[in-house]
Amino acid sequence: MSKFSNKVKSMDEAMGIIPKNDAIIMMGGFVGAGEATCCIEWLIKNQIKDIVLMTNEPGLSGFGRAMLYKNGLVKEIISSHVGTTAESTEEYLKGNLKVEQFYPMGTWIEKVRAGAMGLGGVLVPVGVGILDEPGLFSNLKEPKQVIEVDGMKCFVEPPLKAPFGLVKAWRADEAGNLEYRYTGINCNPMVAMACDYTIAEVEEIVPVGTIPPERIGTAAPFVQAVVKGLSLEEHDEIYRQHWLKIGKLVANQ
Amino acid sequence: MDPRVLIVKRAAQELKDGQLVNLGFGMPTQASNYLPEGVKVMFHGENGLLGVGPRPKAAEAKADITNAGSEPVSLTPGSAIMDLATSLGAMRNGVLDVTILGALEADQLGNIANWAVKRNGLWWPGIGGAMDLCYGTERVIVCLMHTDKKGVSKILKKCTLPLTGKGCVKTIITDKAVFDVGDNVLILKEHAPGVTLQEIKACTEADFIVADTFCEMKV
Repeated sequence: MSKFSNKVKSMDEAMGIIPKNDAIIMMGGFVGAGEATCCIEWLIKNQIKDIVLMTNEPGLSGFGRAMLYKNGLVKEIISSHVGTTAESTEEYLKGNLKVEQFYPMGTWIEKVRAGAMGLGGVLVPVGVGILDEPGLFSNLKEPKQVIEVDGMKCFVEPPLKAPFGLVKAWRADEAGNLEYRYTGINCNPMVAMACDYTIAEVEEIVPVGTIPPERIGTAAPFVQAVVKGLSLEEHDEIYRQHWLKIGKLVANQ
Repeated sequence: MDPRVLIVKRAAQELKDGQLVNLGFGMPTQASNYLPEGVKVMFHGENGLLGVGPRPKAAEAKADITNAGSEPVSLTPGSAIMDLATSLGAMRNGVLDVTILGALEADQLGNIANWAVKRNGLWWPGIGGAMDLCYGTERVIVCLMHTDKKGVSKILKKCTLPLTGKGCVKTIITDKAVFDVGDNVLILKEHAPGVTLQEIKACTEADFIVADTFCEMKV
């Protein structure tokens, strides 16, 4: 298969490549926004178990990624946070969801960027003298490495990469060029590049040549499969209803 | 007045016209409702949005226009959207003028602890973008209740919980007082309406001196 051939697949065809157990999966999204909703539902329906999940934060309670923890499908999370959903909090506090260490969000995305760009890691000054406090993260295999460059003490942070990536974009062309809408662009493009097999869930699939080249947020070679998820209208409506339910929107206002 | 409303109203007075501001989750978010007259600021959301606007009408909310709490927001004129590495890079590299953060503890060294408590022997809930904000932002303002429910001071000589930032806090605003952070000592600037100096002394663990300009909060 060429990097520019037609990558449109059925959900089963695209997702079926993920092993039933112990899959390492990286996901885009930010607290429930910009998530690959239908791919996440597929993981639940097919009971993909003991997932190691790399994600900026766990998601939004009662929604999307949160349902993975509720169904006990995630064994470890590599993230900046574990408490943005009630479901991940519950699994974590019961001892079912492992967190080896927490990363500052800026560090997490730089680790993903290092993975995406083929770097050996990044040097991050944030948290030095705090996160390397002895005993803070007691499950670390070895202490966090610190080096000094021009007087600045930095953690040596290895890259994050994953065999499988799930991203969400507005639309894709058949070759897998992706166009994002608004804040949906925040971490999906970097995640797409940091994974060996990236599945893009989109609201619309268009012929090659439709998306203006300067609007492409993720280029086709970084995407291995394109699946059609909900439509833009359906997606907006699902979020709107959720926001109404939790009081973040007021009806008829 | 609800003590939390008092705190955010006072915190909002710290914002100056033209500043680029990040408001933390919870109480600080509410500060946007109490901006002083004539003060226009640009709000940053760490999810990659410069120019976070107010909540939209229900019919206009979009799944892809959200703030860092995944709440629907609108875009203000001049707003810009960026990827997460750029957004957090701006925080780390000192592009923001001021941040208002909630906290579990603050101390006279200018330290803040707001990301972890021990639950079932585990640190919870996590860091998010708070540590990047504390590291890079010129002016870190901390908002918290002065004491816990048992009356124990949260304004300490030295924080006991894992830190979010070291020596970064400039101002501490509580339901009882406003302090600036000096050299290993707090400077008491204001008291809340009806709260005496004696009461503040009784419920503050940190060492503090009283500013010459010590007065009542104007909220």
